[in-house]
Amino acid sequence: MMNVINVKKSYGHGPSKVEVLKGINLKIAPGETLALVGKSGSGKSTLLSLMAGLDQMEQGEVWIQGKCLNQLSENELTLFRAKNMGIVFQQFHLVSTLTALENVILPLNLLKDPNAKVIANKLIDHVGLSHRSHHLPSELSGGECQRVAIARALSTSPKILFADEPSGNLDEETGAKVMDLLFKMVRETGTTMVLVTHDPDLAKKCSRIIHLEHGSLV
Amino acid sequence: MIFELFLIKEIKKFPFFFLLLLFTLLLGTLGLTGISVVSEQVKSKLEESARELLTSDLVVSARRDLLDDEKIALEKIVRKVPHQTYKVVDIYSMVRHEKSSQTRLTEVRSVEEGFPFYGKITLTKGEFKVDGLYISKDLAEIWGIAIGDDLKIGEKVFAVKGIVQNDSSQGLRGFSLAPRIYLPLRDVEETGLLRPGSTGSYARHFRVPGYLEKDFENLTTQLLNVLPDSAIKVTLPQESSEQSGRVIAYLTDFMSLAALIGLLLSLVGIFYLYQSHLVARLKDFCLINLLGLEKRHIIYGVILQFSIVFIFVVILQTLLIIPGYKLIYPMLSNALGLDLSSEVNLKSVLFQLPFLYGLGLAILVPLLFGLMRTSMGIQLKSAKMSMGHFRFYDFIPFVLLLWGFAVFLSHSFSIGSLFFLGLLLVFVLSTCLIKILQWILRKYALPRSLLFPNIETGVAIRNIVHSGHKLTLSFLALAMGATLISLILQLDHLIQKEFTLDERKPSLFIFDIQEDQMDSLDEFARGQKVKLEGVTPMIRARLEKVNGELFKRVEGKSNLRTREEEVETRMKNRGINLTYRKDLSPAETMVEGEPFPDEAPDGKRPAYLSIEKRYAGRLNLKLGDRLTFDIQGVEVEGIIRNFREVKWTSFYPNFFVNVEPGFIDDAPKTYLAVLPQGPKETKRYFQREAVGKFPNISFVDVEEIIGKLAASFDKSRRAIEVISALSLIVGLVILYGLSHDQVYRRYYDLALMKTLGFSSGSLRKQLLIEFGFLFVLAMGIGFFLGWLMAVIIGREVFKLGWSINWEMIFYPGLLLSILCLVTILISSWSAVRAKPRELLSDA
Repeated sequence: MMNVINVKKSYGHGPSKVEVLKGINLKIAPGETLALVGKSGSGKSTLLSLMAGLDQMEQGEVWIQGKCLNQLSENELTLFRAKNMGIVFQQFHLVSTLTALENVILPLNLLKDPNAKVIANKLIDHVGLSHRSHHLPSELSGGECQRVAIARALSTSPKILFADEPSGNLDEETGAKVMDLLFKMVRETGTTMVLVTHDPDLAKKCSRIIHLEHGSLV
Repeated sequence: MIFELFLIKEIKKFPFFFLLLLFTLLLGTLGLTGISVVSEQVKSKLEESARELLTSDLVVSARRDLLDDEKIALEKIVRKVPHQTYKVVDIYSMVRHEKSSQTRLTEVRSVEEGFPFYGKITLTKGEFKVDGLYISKDLAEIWGIAIGDDLKIGEKVFAVKGIVQNDSSQGLRGFSLAPRIYLPLRDVEETGLLRPGSTGSYARHFRVPGYLEKDFENLTTQLLNVLPDSAIKVTLPQESSEQSGRVIAYLTDFMSLAALIGLLLSLVGIFYLYQSHLVARLKDFCLINLLGLEKRHIIYGVILQFSIVFIFVVILQTLLIIPGYKLIYPMLSNALGLDLSSEVNLKSVLFQLPFLYGLGLAILVPLLFGLMRTSMGIQLKSAKMSMGHFRFYDFIPFVLLLWGFAVFLSHSFSIGSLFFLGLLLVFVLSTCLIKILQWILRKYALPRSLLFPNIETGVAIRNIVHSGHKLTLSFLALAMGATLISLILQLDHLIQKEFTLDERKPSLFIFDIQEDQMDSLDEFARGQKVKLEGVTPMIRARLEKVNGELFKRVEGKSNLRTREEEVETRMKNRGINLTYRKDLSPAETMVEGEPFPDEAPDGKRPAYLSIEKRYAGRLNLKLGDRLTFDIQGVEVEGIIRNFREVKWTSFYPNFFVNVEPGFIDDAPKTYLAVLPQGPKETKRYFQREAVGKFPNISFVDVEEIIGKLAASFDKSRRAIEVISALSLIVGLVILYGLSHDQVYRRYYDLALMKTLGFSSGSLRKQLLIEFGFLFVLAMGIGFFLGWLMAVIIGREVFKLGWSINWEMIFYPGLLLSILCLVTILISSWSAVRAKPRELLSDA
């Protein structure tokens, strides 16, 4: 499914240069749920961003479904990401001027899916927000926003789902419910998932856990 | 503590915000302060040269010579003080250059020995003396006259003794009906030009050495008491300088209003900037409040910040205006014909400062109220911070101050209020339009899919529908800028249209036709195969009573008079020309009341009167009022039957008061007439021959006058355009800032859209659709409202007709649209390069 080969990344220049990732090698099988754990500043979000093609690596390669992300142009990468990946952010990041339903429809429309509305409605229903589908993000609670974000991320039936601390902005109870929903949907769809978390209990729910420390896999 | 917290630390931490604030305020206030500096310099110079303008310490004048008893009364007063005196008579007369046989209208200044007491008449060669004919440089240049050439004036021929280079009594170089020539008074009397009813001014000038201003005021009062006729004026130097500067005063009033729009646009920008800044600082404010600083102290801190920025703006303005003025004052001096001082007087700027500061603070009042209404403790617990809402009545101080400032700048309650209402209309219509648009899109476009008509438009529509008032502010700024441009262009078009010669306007305007000459002139015209039109009698009179009460001369001068009050004073303190005419002239429209009855008057009732509407307004007259006129000692009473509107730019003989025929027909009179449009050669020949036969009759070349008026207006227009351009630049800067901020607020949205699959090109397209559509719409509404305001102002102030110049909408609109789109593209260029990486938790 995914192959990460000797990926390196640093920020800054000269004496202030910080090596965030020091040569990561990783393979992920289809359907696998992988937890990336580590302390704050260990490089987990950086690794996730490189795997999702959100940032550029200094060295190394990332292969997904036989395609090397480094070799794709910006537009090709955008299209590839739209077709093959879903992302759930810690701060939800819904489009503020679109309703809950429209936020879920948007990726499907971008791919010109003729069944966009049907799929979106189904997903909104699945996350238990049919009665809130026409509300704007500003009218939804944190937990509701994150559920919409999950529905959006899975709307295009992505090969791989990246989740960056998805419960980080939620209270314990809501966070637990949201994560249960996420894992349930991932299981149902057989989607590969890479989950960044600092919560060891959450990490244990995944099929594999990888620890990052000072930019290296432990 | 507030000082350190809100000033030193804040400015250190947010230098860019304060710099932007300073720049915005500076740009918005520069136009106004620049205009006030120039206006003050001109006013100071005119005041300084007041005595030179008047040529004496005091002048008693009227449009007729003083009667014997008036002369005696005057003499009784002035003989009590040691003084010198001379008489000056100014009349219009045709002059014929014997060498070229050309004729033209001139202003004949007839003077006595001693002229001028103050000031100087500089010749191209030699020294001015009251010993013969001297002509102005303008006239010499028009005809190529040399010293020694003969000019026929009235019945007599004079040789030119000298050419006047400069006359310090002429004041501002602006529009003048005719070039000036100078003759000794005794010689003018021999020309036969001084006939009863001739258009002219008779003045007695006095020099009273050793008298102070207070003494002159006492003397004036004494003179006015013994010379009760309101047609007689007593003028001191200060009034003369005010009179001379009237045109410039009107021009600077209008320019100030144009600059006020620039200020308003910058205030919109400041509101927007401060709002964003306060929201960004809200968390810190909440923390400080939690730690013990009261909310009102936080507000004092914000006010202190703004005040310090304002002080810096004032300093920078001074640093810019002083050298800026020194750079342009030679050019200004030349254009105005005044020797302006190079030293800058900042008195008027200081006078404006409280208004500017007040307006700046007033625009922040709603935000400060919002801050007061914020529940700071609760905010700290929220994931997303938001300030308390402001209410519409929070804007009342700002609105009132803006209206007051508009009236102050225009020195006119009606013009200032009209202008203010126009701005309010732009604001209300723009806000309503945005709401209507959002409603239409919500109702008809939102229910459709995101792909309607394409995904970029779908997202753009939703952004428009769900965006807050910040979008309204951008829309408003652009609509106001477009309104201003359109107003200036359309008003210019309307005025230009009035001042073009068309077949409706006559080619010659003829006046000073004596009663006994009318038939001969008519016969002469028929002999020349031309027909005189609009033959109208003119009878000099004085308004004595209104509804039985003596009509009092208006006294008392104050620097705080509005333009309307100034005009009213002038109207009330002069004699009046009457005419009698049954029907309306082609330039008149009855607007209220009844026309004169068809049947001849039976002698049992007073005459009916038809009054020009604005004149009636100035004298507070209404239908049915009784007016009593004194026509050379004979009282004639009339009742107001109707009000008329007169198109003064028709160049047709028109009067403020028209008396029903049958009452004053036998009064001593002169006649006015016009020669209709025709071949130019016919006009020239007619004028040349008529001057030879009737030397006292005056002819005004209407085409030439229109050309002069148009040229004069052109200069004024350019000045207004400079200020409008400055206001527009302010508008564009604000627009760029607002749209840049709007686009950057979407930074995370844009980054998110990229992760979801939008390409950079697609994102740019979406931004262009959203902002481009709104901005083009704002311009559309701005251009329409500008045209509407031009029509209303043109109608109410200048009595113009209405029309629309589409080119002046299309081309500027197109240019502005392109500028707006470029602005959006520039703003979006870096924004669409937003890094999706920044959406992650550790970014």
